[in-house]
Amino acid sequence: MLRIEGLKSGYGKSEVLHGVSMSINAGQVVTIIGANGAGKSTLVNTLSKLLPIMSGRIEFDGRDITALSASDVVDLGIIQVPEGRKLFGPLTVDENLTLGSYRVRHAPKAELTDRRKFVLDLFPRLAERATQRAATLSGGEQQMVALGRALMAGPRLLLLDELTLGLAPIVIDEMFETLERLKREGLTMLLVEQRADAALALADHAYVMATGDVVAEGPAPDLRNDERVRKAYLGESDITSD
Amino acid sequence: MQTFGILILSGLTNGSVYALVGLSLAMTYGASRVINFAQGEFVMLGALSTVLFVTTFSLPMVVGIPMVLIVCATVGFLVERLAYRPLVRRGSQPLTIMIGTLACASIMTGTALLIWGPNQLFVPNAFSLEGVTIAGITSTPQQLAIIATFAFLMALIWFMLYRTTFGLTIRAVGIDPAVATLMGIRAETIIAFSFVFSAIVGGLTGGLVGPLLGGHVSMGIMLTIKGFMAVILGGMGSPFAAAAGGIAIGLLEATVAFYGNSFYAEPIIFGLILMMLIIRPTGLLGEWEANRK
Ligand SMILES: Nc1ncnc2c1ncn2[C@@H]1O[C@H](COP(=O)(O)OP(=O)(O)OP(=O)(O)O)[C@@H](O)[C@H]1O
Ligand SMILES: [Mg+2]
Repeated sequence: MLRIEGLKSGYGKSEVLHGVSMSINAGQVVTIIGANGAGKSTLVNTLSKLLPIMSGRIEFDGRDITALSASDVVDLGIIQVPEGRKLFGPLTVDENLTLGSYRVRHAPKAELTDRRKFVLDLFPRLAERATQRAATLSGGEQQMVALGRALMAGPRLLLLDELTLGLAPIVIDEMFETLERLKREGLTMLLVEQRADAALALADHAYVMATGDVVAEGPAPDLRNDERVRKAYLGESDITSD
Repeated sequence: MQTFGILILSGLTNGSVYALVGLSLAMTYGASRVINFAQGEFVMLGALSTVLFVTTFSLPMVVGIPMVLIVCATVGFLVERLAYRPLVRRGSQPLTIMIGTLACASIMTGTALLIWGPNQLFVPNAFSLEGVTIAGITSTPQQLAIIATFAFLMALIWFMLYRTTFGLTIRAVGIDPAVATLMGIRAETIIAFSFVFSAIVGGLTGGLVGPLLGGHVSMGIMLTIKGFMAVILGGMGSPFAAAAGGIAIGLLEATVAFYGNSFYAEPIIFGLILMMLIIRPTGLLGEWEANRK
């Protein structure tokens, strides 16, 4: 579904990704793990076209999308849940969800209603908070809005950047249960996670990134048992230093 | 009682003009987080291009005014495309961009000077300037048209911003254009719209107020300042706060001018506003608007 080849990108003149290649098949959950500063968010934002591509190629459904704009990419159904949630804080939960459905705003009303019902069924708490300003919600609730907002768009490929950052353990478990459910429903996901153990348990395939490069990849169960990966994501040593 | 009525009416008329400028400044600010210091120049452009189309080219009002609005929309589009957008794309700070809009103001005044010269021009009136007396208070249809236009545009903007999906996207772009883009919203197009829309409001204001103020190439800056004051006085919260600020300034001005002397009305008003802002730093409605919903 998604193929990335030799992708280089960064900020201004400084190159952060030095030629990343990966691919995601339809229905797959792929996770990217790696230390802070490895370039995971840079990759996700490059895929969403918030950052310019220096070289390389991105293909979606066999179509070259390297030159498309950020909103074109959304139109294709590549939807990002950004790191740090990035809600529209002064707007209500309801308005945030409506903005999420901007991509499908011309769809039949029934479809939009169904989608909202699906999201509110996934996160019943959001129904209670519908008219509350997003900024006034708890961290966990805000993350539900962030994921709910992305689901409102009817994503074909969901990019999740550190969904569980800063959440309480029990909320993290709930989030992973939700992702499990979305996986069962066949949603294709690219999951960037600090909680590598849980991410690898959920994912089909995994990539390990360090300083802007993919340094390891393989089926998630294999990486889960890989000694070097275990060490790296448990923070005992840096994957690149051995 | 009658003097009071006259005072209110003249305050409302001037206040509506400031409110219209404030409303359009707040509208652009809402989407772009930048104060467009060329906003008053659109009023000037509106007034003087009314002279051009209606007096010079002898077009009827119903044709002339739409032409005026097209001219203003085009110039508004150019300001966004040639000043705002290139600066934003280069990562400029809001302050830099505001200086950019000030440069646009300057260019517009200079160009207007070349076209219309330095003299005050008579701006043809769409509505009658004959006084009509209602309940002992004399006003002119032109005056009433200004107040009505303000009321109508405020209602229109309220509806657009708070009752339509399009308005929701405008507010979202103002909060965070990058995240709005992640929703598939074309943030640059929304911002361009806010500039063009404000330019049209400016042009309409110019066409309406021109007959009362007289058309002059340097009339813009005073209106920008008054509109900006309206925005600050009302609070940056919403276009309606700015509109309320504009009306407040108009009423204050009329009162000071009536009981004192219009010569020192301005320093007194600025002084009062300064005092008000020391007491309520967020403006009259700033806080209320922030807590809305
Ligand atoms: N806005 C920016 N401008 C310049 N450099 C940046 C910017 N954002 C990130 N970087 C740099 O890019 C590199 C990769 O950062 P990135 O945010 O992609 O890492 P990450 O893998 O997402 O880390 P984390 O796990 O902390 O989220 C870092 O060296 C960082 O300093
Ligand atoms: Mg990151």
